[in-house]
Amino acid sequence: MKYISLILVVLLSACSTPVTVKQKFPEVPKSLVERCENLKKIEGDKVAITEMLKVVVQNYGMYYECAAKVDGWKEWYTEQKRIYESVK
Amino acid sequence: MAQIQWMISLIPDAVLNWAYWVIIVAGVTGVLAGWLGKWIPFYGNYVKVLQPVGIVLLVLGVWLRGGYDTEMSWRAKVAEAEARVAVAEQKSQQTNTVIEQKIVEKTKVIKGKTEYITKYLDREIIKKEEIIKYIEQCPVPKEIIDIHNQAAEMNKAAEGPKK
Repeated sequence: MKYISLILVVLLSACSTPVTVKQKFPEVPKSLVERCENLKKIEGDKVAITEMLKVVVQNYGMYYECAAKVDGWKEWYTEQKRIYESVK
Repeated sequence: MAQIQWMISLIPDAVLNWAYWVIIVAGVTGVLAGWLGKWIPFYGNYVKVLQPVGIVLLVLGVWLRGGYDTEMSWRAKVAEAEARVAVAEQKSQQTNTVIEQKIVEKTKVIKGKTEYITKYLDREIIKKEEIIKYIEQCPVPKEIIDIHNQAAEMNKAAEGPKK
């Protein structure tokens, strides 16, 4: 009986090997890390309203390009979080 | 302890398994021989040695075999986890590609639309008589331009002074 007890104690203390499995932090698409451009200014003192309008149109375009990046970040975060949580 | 485990990990699993079973069998043989030896004449002298050696070998063999099973179980879990991580990394990469394509496509459409409106302005609007008259008579006052330019640079105020 004492041998069996001894064997049980030894077996219960048998070694375990903790190995960490690391998940790499996901890369970010290149287009997302590009900085949003500064809005354009109107050059000159006396400017035709059409020239001013062109600058306004270009600025709207730049705003929407930047908004597309922000939407991209949101989607990237949501998707990557979902994938990360699916691993657990 | 870690170095010993590492050294043991270099030995092929099948060889380890066999070695552990050999130790267990040797231990059982030793214990049985020690037990049976009591009834065999002239053999009794060896009993004192064989029985403790057999017990030690048996305990050692069972311990090593238990450790081997634990190790194999952990390795299976690690392999499973690594496979899940690999799948996740692949999915992550695919998601990045999809997002990248979406942004490139959206940017292309926005740039195209901006260009189209600007060209339309140059091609059609500017040529209209009332517009030409308006442009000639009413240049945009400097104050309006300044307000626009200030608004365009709002971000600089938010960023603060550069250090």
